[in-house]
Order: sequence, then structure tokens, then C-alpha cells
Amino acid sequence: MSNARPRLDAMRPSQPGPTRTADPRPPDKFPGRGNYLGYVLFGSCGVFLLLSSILVLRIVWALAAGEAAWNDLMAQFQNPIYVAYHVLAFVGLVWFTLRFFSLFPKTQPAKIGPAPRPPDAFFAVALNGAFAVVTAALAAILWGAVL
Amino acid sequence: MLKLEPIIWLLFGAGMMVGGLLLPAIVLVLGIAGPLGFAPAEALSYERIHGLATNPIGRLVCLGAIALPVWGGAHHLRHVWIDFGGLKTDGLVGPVLYAVALVTSVAGAVAVFQL
Repeated sequence: MSNARPRLDAMRPSQPGPTRTADPRPPDKFPGRGNYLGYVLFGSCGVFLLLSSILVLRIVWALAAGEAAWNDLMAQFQNPIYVAYHVLAFVGLVWFTLRFFSLFPKTQPAKIGPAPRPPDAFFAVALNGAFAVVTAALAAILWGAVL
Repeated sequence: MLKLEPIIWLLFGAGMMVGGLLLPAIVLVLGIAGPLGFAPAEALSYERIHGLATNPIGRLVCLGAIALPVWGGAHHLRHVWIDFGGLKTDGLVGPVLYAVALVTSVAGAVAVFQL
């Protein structure tokens, strides 16, 4: 085998500078097929998190502004557009949360601090149980069934 | 932006968790059941809801429902934008979304404090 260096380096860039890479492109069948649809819908539910947070801010502002502002906001919420958004947001948030909790165990390492990782069933019961209890309790309090 | 990534990820994870636990009930009762007349009107009266919201736990719930989910939403929407080919404009879209989250969080903290 010769030790002579090649006279032409085929991998060498034609000009000095950062190596060019191809632009990223979506995988085949993205976003409508296979697991991509759920992935995209899950990410898109971020809009409900963002808008619903701003909605809670509006509620707090109305409460701070007094009874007239509160009654005005409640009257606005009777608009069919608001109601339709809230139905869509409720469905989206519930689906988002249940999917998040189903994905959560897959993100956990083998050891959590010094303790070994609990079994997947523990995460499922704890997270979905917390979702059911907190949602039911908060809804019951707001509804006036409790307190 | 890279230096802020751990903080944004912390807010993102907390936002998904807290938003998922708190927002569905709030949207269900105040956004659907109340306006459609399913929830009792006296339960949604100003005095009662104001009393609930000004309770120390109520203030914490309000602040949590405003200041955390908005970060989760902003981070999700940023990544959806990137997934749909928006990598080249991420330098603009990412900061705008996080700015919305920051302004909403600060406004929420002020509003809850002044309630």
C-alpha cells in the first residue's frame, strides 16, 4: 500500500468556510399519516394552553375591575363564537393532557434521583388520577357544589 | 436564546402539567356550563367568584393557570412552526412567542396581586 497522500481530496469544500448542509425537510407522509398526525395535533394544542391562559387573565382583570366588568365578561362568553372556542378548547385540553400523561413515563430515566424509576402503571394511575381528582374538585368548587 | 433554553424547558414542562390540571375545569364551568345556563347563576356571581379568587389558594390557582400554561403553549407553537418549515424565521417567531408568554406572566402576577 502506498503512503503517498492523495493529490485531490474529494471531501474538501471548494471554498473555506462552514460546510454546507442540506436544508431540513419534513419526513415522508408528514403531517397527515401515521404518528405524525397525533404529534402535530399535540403540538397544535399549545394554542389552547396559550389562549386559555390569556382567558384566565381576562377573568382576573374583570374580577379586579368590579361587578359590572364581570357581568360584561360573562355576557360576552355567551357569544356562540366564544362557546364554540371553549368547547373546542376543552376537548383539546383534555386530549392533550391525557396524551401528555401517557407519554410522560417514556421520558423518565431509569433512576429518579437515588430511587429507582417506578413502574409505568404507577405513572398512569398517579397522573390520570391527579387529573381526574383536580378537574372534578375544581369544577365542583366553581359550580358551587362544594364551598 | 440557547442560554435561556433550560429555563424555558422548565416553564414548558410545568406549564403542560399545571395547564393540563387546571384549565379544563375552568374552561368547562366558566366558558361552557355558565354561558349555556347549566351552572347555577348564583355560583358564578361576582361576589362568590371574587371570594374564591381572592382566597390565598385561589390566588395561587389563578397565577398558576395564567403564568405557566402560557409558556407551555408558546413553546409548543414555536416547535409546530419549526416543524412546518419555519426554521428560517424561528429567530423572529420564537422570541415573539416567548415575549407574549413573558408579558402574560407578568400581567398575570400583577393582576393576581392587585385582586
